[in-house]
Amino acid sequence: MAKYVVGSTAEIGPGQRKIVAVNGISIGVFNVNGVYYALRNRCPHQGAPLCLGSVKGTALPSQPGEYIWAREGEILRCPWHGWEFDVTTGRSVCSPQKVRVRAYEVTVDPLESAETEAVVETFPVTVQSGNVVLHLPS
Amino acid sequence: MTTFLSEREARPTRERRVGIIDCDVHPGPRSVAEIKAHMPMPFRDRWNGGGRGFFGNPVHGARLDSNPPGGGGAGSDPDFLRTQLVEEHGMAHAILLPRSFCNLHPDPDFGTAIAAAFNDWLAETWLDKYNADGVFKGSITVAHQDPHAAAREIERWAGHPHFVQVMTDSGARAPFGQRQYHPIYEACAKHDLPFAIHPGTDGMGINVQPSPGFPTHYIEWHTCLSLAFQAHLVSLLTEGVFEKFPKFRVVLTEGGTAWIPGLMWRLDAEWKALRTEVPWVKRPPSAYLRDHVRFTTQPLERPEDDRHFLQMLEMMDAENLLMFSSDYPHWDFDSPSHAFPKLPEALHHRIFEANAREWYGL
Repeated sequence: MAKYVVGSTAEIGPGQRKIVAVNGISIGVFNVNGVYYALRNRCPHQGAPLCLGSVKGTALPSQPGEYIWAREGEILRCPWHGWEFDVTTGRSVCSPQKVRVRAYEVTVDPLESAETEAVVETFPVTVQSGNVVLHLPS
Repeated sequence: MTTFLSEREARPTRERRVGIIDCDVHPGPRSVAEIKAHMPMPFRDRWNGGGRGFFGNPVHGARLDSNPPGGGGAGSDPDFLRTQLVEEHGMAHAILLPRSFCNLHPDPDFGTAIAAAFNDWLAETWLDKYNADGVFKGSITVAHQDPHAAAREIERWAGHPHFVQVMTDSGARAPFGQRQYHPIYEACAKHDLPFAIHPGTDGMGINVQPSPGFPTHYIEWHTCLSLAFQAHLVSLLTEGVFEKFPKFRVVLTEGGTAWIPGLMWRLDAEWKALRTEVPWVKRPPSAYLRDHVRFTTQPLERPEDDRHFLQMLEMMDAENLLMFSSDYPHWDFDSPSHAFPKLPEALHHRIFEANAREWYGL
């Protein structure tokens, strides 16, 4: 695993995202209610920049005429064809077994941590913030 | 008829462009004012843009990444459209179909004025000011509420070097083969301009909905858009439009393709028994397609198994009848590099370039 600092927690607040390029791969890093997730920025359907899509909730499977809106902030929609993806797993809502986007591990490390091998970009730090670190297979 | 430099005269000065020909691209004005500037009073005051009304896409109507960085709506910036569509996919030409929604208005004069304003705008901007390289080819919008006025609008643009077809919405009050529409087809045939039918305004304004009654949801309405195309095609074939106007040609744009084999088998079978009802239909109806009808590919109906897809293409005579389209910038955009499975090279060339080149004389 190679580790990359992609930003600070102050920079990517709850409900926000940051698109980064690591080793030529475009990756979206999302803050979902304080927990960070990372997905490859390429829709498995037709190659659209997936991570530019809207992040909202979804209507859960329900009885006819019943609407159950849930998972607010956890569902990413492709900006082209509107396919839904679970930000927390990378799996699609329409076909979770077959259609999924590559998900990467993300951790929040203390600012003083010097373990990271590379810094994607520099950023201002604050006392309250930590480093958002993306883990990629070597 | 206005006099334009004919395509034949204009072409030698320009290099022939090679690459994909996209047969369904939607440019839009930067603002409502751009269209209004071409509209005479009293219509200028009455028209304030506006879409089709009901059945808006509940998710998003256009690719979210198609909004030009400099502002304006999707498809309103020619430089950005060139970058994101034409250059990205190596396109020779984009056939432009603006969405005026003129066909839903009960007042035919208003509909005709909207169509004319869109044509004047398109001719001045995308087909001229933005078109130094000749990549853009346009469609003459007509309001089919008044077929004689529509024919006059076609006459007004005939001979223009970049208008390559006439277009209208599939939303209508009657199937398109019926004789009240024939003045439009006579004008199209006279000037060798194909008549493109594009989804829109079905069940809106004065137009009937092609399903039994109004569907509840966008997903139903949008899926069933192909029903109107099937009905229009059966009507055009059985009313003998292609016998009456031997040079008349039709493009079914964004109406689906997978239904072609089944519908034609059904119609041909009916014709064997019922041809005396329509004796002017001199050949099996499906035999008219190759000379008179083309279909654009988006939204591509693609089975899970690619072998089935290739079989389907063979059944529908895709190598002669299909022309690639992306529907850029709309939400159901088909990417030239991802929408299709791998095709045999010759078939790919026919669908992505050659069929449209021959059909539109590009």
